Amino acid sequence: MTGTGSTVQPRGLARRLLAANAWLVYGFFYAPILVLIALSFNENRLVGVWRGFTLDWYAQMAANTAVLRAVRSSLIVAAASTVVATVLGTAAALSLERFRFRGRRAFDALLYLPVIVPDVTMAVMLLLFFVRVADAMFVVSGAQVRLGLTTITLSHVAFNISFVAIVVRARLAGMDPTLEEAAADLYAGRWQTFRRVTLPQMTPGVLGGALLALTLSLDDVVITSFVSGPGSTTLPVYVFGLVRRGVTPLINAVSTAMLVASMALVLASVLLQRRRGPA
Amino acid sequence: MAVCVSSTCDRDWNDQPALRKQIRPAMSATAVDLSDVSKRFDDVNAVDHVDLAIRDGEFFSLLGPSGCGKTTTLRMIAGLEFPTEGRISIFGDEMGLRPPNMRPVNTVFQSYALFPHMTVSDNVAFGLQMRRLDRREIRRRVGDALELVQLTGRERRRPNQLSGGQQQRVALARALVNEPKVLLLDEPLGALDLKLRQAMQLELKDLQTRVGITFVYVTHDQEEALTMSDRIGVMDAGRLLQVGVPEEIYERPTSPMVAEFIGDTNLLPATVKADGQIELVGGQIVGADITASPGAEIMVTLRPERLHIVDADGSFPDGHNAIDGTVARRVYLGNAVTYGILAGNVTLRVRVRNAPGQRQFDVGRRVQVHWAGDAAVLVERG
Amino acid sequence: MTRTLVPEDQPAPPEASQELERRAADARSRRGLWIASAPAAYLVLLFALPLLIVFVYSFATRGTTGQTILADWNITAYARLFNPLVREIVLRSVGYAAVTTVISLVVSYPFAYYIATRPARMRNVLLVLVMIPFWSNFLVRTYAWRVLLSSSGPVSQLTQLLGMGQTRLLFTTTAVVLGLVYGYMPFMILPLYAAIERIDLGLVEAARDLYASGARAFWRVTWPLSRPGVVAGSILVFIPSLGAYVTPEILGGSKTTMLGSYIVRQFLSARDWPFGSALSFVVTALMLIATLVYFRTGGRTL
Repeated sequence: MTGTGSTVQPRGLARRLLAANAWLVYGFFYAPILVLIALSFNENRLVGVWRGFTLDWYAQMAANTAVLRAVRSSLIVAAASTVVATVLGTAAALSLERFRFRGRRAFDALLYLPVIVPDVTMAVMLLLFFVRVADAMFVVSGAQVRLGLTTITLSHVAFNISFVAIVVRARLAGMDPTLEEAAADLYAGRWQTFRRVTLPQMTPGVLGGALLALTLSLDDVVITSFVSGPGSTTLPVYVFGLVRRGVTPLINAVSTAMLVASMALVLASVLLQRRRGPA
Repeated sequence: MAVCVSSTCDRDWNDQPALRKQIRPAMSATAVDLSDVSKRFDDVNAVDHVDLAIRDGEFFSLLGPSGCGKTTTLRMIAGLEFPTEGRISIFGDEMGLRPPNMRPVNTVFQSYALFPHMTVSDNVAFGLQMRRLDRREIRRRVGDALELVQLTGRERRRPNQLSGGQQQRVALARALVNEPKVLLLDEPLGALDLKLRQAMQLELKDLQTRVGITFVYVTHDQEEALTMSDRIGVMDAGRLLQVGVPEEIYERPTSPMVAEFIGDTNLLPATVKADGQIELVGGQIVGADITASPGAEIMVTLRPERLHIVDADGSFPDGHNAIDGTVARRVYLGNAVTYGILAGNVTLRVRVRNAPGQRQFDVGRRVQVHWAGDAAVLVERG
Repeated sequence: MTRTLVPEDQPAPPEASQELERRAADARSRRGLWIASAPAAYLVLLFALPLLIVFVYSFATRGTTGQTILADWNITAYARLFNPLVREIVLRSVGYAAVTTVISLVVSYPFAYYIATRPARMRNVLLVLVMIPFWSNFLVRTYAWRVLLSSSGPVSQLTQLLGMGQTRLLFTTTAVVLGLVYGYMPFMILPLYAAIERIDLGLVEAARDLYASGARAFWRVTWPLSRPGVVAGSILVFIPSLGAYVTPEILGGSKTTMLGSYIVRQFLSARDWPFGSALSFVVTALMLIATLVYFRTGGRTL
């Protein structure tokens, strides 16, 4: 819909109410975040009462080895699972959008399921799976399979493939298939067509999917806490453990750092897309 | 440069000088040969047993309403679809399962299919790069091609920065720069407005004459086909109904569908009497210049511009057929006036030029419609 | 340059011409399968197989020390779903999810409508402003409410200042639903926005031209045309709310336990894996049904 002030725009009171509602929603979205950021600089150990500005909590965070180890684990898991999930999810999207093959419908359904299944069920599934695999490995070779960064990464890939595939598929579906026909008509082989036409066209979708996978990996608490072992907690799982015990200035500082990081990621992607223009 | 006189002559089409006028061989070789080609999509016969030989160097149009199978036929020549049955050869080479990138043809797509992430010159250079031509050669040929379509100076633009007409020229240059043996065009002017389309029709025909490449042109616009083509193939419901030069298609349609689709016409059901005369359903006896076997149920097609009107008691030339009727409708068109003349149970459309001294008739007037014997053409009843 | 093109495939012999199309289709099918094979294998191994294991476990027995005995198949775990405590938790979860969905819809519709009727340039900015908190860390966003609602937190201080006394919202139903709305409302806004933005303005103008008042034009044209967005948004909010774990854990108390937390407890503290598996399986089945309903009503994307 376009154009303010045309006959189809609500006028008078309705218009005012709509605007008021919109600003209230934005307030609802941003107020908690802003309060949290502000309180992370509060000198007072009693979180709710402002006493003065300090960076002490950030200094404490930077010196906290448990936090640092969790950050490191999170980054390793997020990077590895994003790369693998992006490659696999893109392949899945390509096969479903560009080919007809036996079992296509079954694969399509299988790809949607991880999006629908709740976190908790996914966590239970993967825990039981790794327990059975560990048992089997022990019986077969006597090897001990332990829960750790590897099982976390494998699990994150399992739920992220689907999200990447959905984003990339949307992009591919919006892409004119005659472009690929034109490339073939102009002597490009299959690989050249993919590299010179399909890939550049779907890159924004692939980047979008990767960003979503990265965000979901950095966000996940439930699944990770099920499939992580001693000493392999990620930052969200570590923070979740602290949060359940109460509110502390240290958590405020860590939370603010996490918020700023994820917002920077989103802003970067928005700016990136704007600079690329409507591709 | 070698002149090819038969389809067995092995011409290396990569070595043709760029877009230079070619000497037309006296005996035309067959550029594209379709032999009993059919294409089924699920249960639909998109193309139904088509036999067609397109000659080297000709501007050939496939004409028909949307969904008639003309685009599918073109796509099978390009290698974008494979026939369910039948064979396609290009200059004597059977194409089989050869993919599009291995065929000596190029396509101008209906939507142009310009790569949005590449500049104009990258688009035009794409085919040459894929064939790994020398960098300097590519630059030269891209320059020539852009000059040919009058887009010099737009090299660095992106497709979305060009007008529809300019995009169309880029698509043309991108295909022609490869010097294909056959250029396939899928309704390339469909997205342009009327004025631009008419200008481009003449330009395309002129271009084809200059480069001497066989053009296979798909369109649903009969005027476009008549304007540009050396020969036209009319398709309907997957079948190739008639192939011929424009005059043949217009003057001597062999089926009611062709007669109706090309231009405006009066189609009247009729039967052939024992004495060879033709009796319209209304009972009038008319003459026609084609004989048919007695008893046959046929259609008579009469072009509105070949019909004339005189007063009910007026005279007309000897040898003309005539029917009595009443003026039921009169439509003023500027350069002409069309009349609807009610004669018995049929209404005849008559087109009269709007010239000084030309008599015009009012609605309700009793008149006679007359025409020369050779104006009526018999066609099989569809 | 004397390069000629060499055909990849030899031309087919004439008698095989009818086979061409089938062979081309087969080649494409093989290529598609080959590309799909890696992600498909991964999902079979790390999704389908684990799901099957959960299904099998749901029929097992819990041993006296918390170990799972697979030998003795039974449906005890499913029978326990009708236990009053479990029923209360299931009903509560469905109730919370339903209330969350309704609140989100009532607030989001006018909001999405407002954004969709702004000039194009402004629309994008307003949408990005929705996306930023949406893409921010979920745990942290929920934690922010814990800070806000705590007994010494800003909300409580505000009410005290206004003379309304200390508020005790944390660990209540209100806090949990508030957290769920905060967490999942963007899932409602985005499909609603997409549906409303797509509506042809000319249709509303046509309704006005045919004597409809502004309100009637909305009810007879805009609202029905935006219904796919309403259905999509409702399901997208309902599903994660029903399975929520983090939100009730952080903002809720013992009286607001939801299914997600209850399932986790079966695995991490009660060590009753068969019962936990049965619960997980039932929740998943419920969500599958909801999703199928969504697709049946014409939904296209998730």
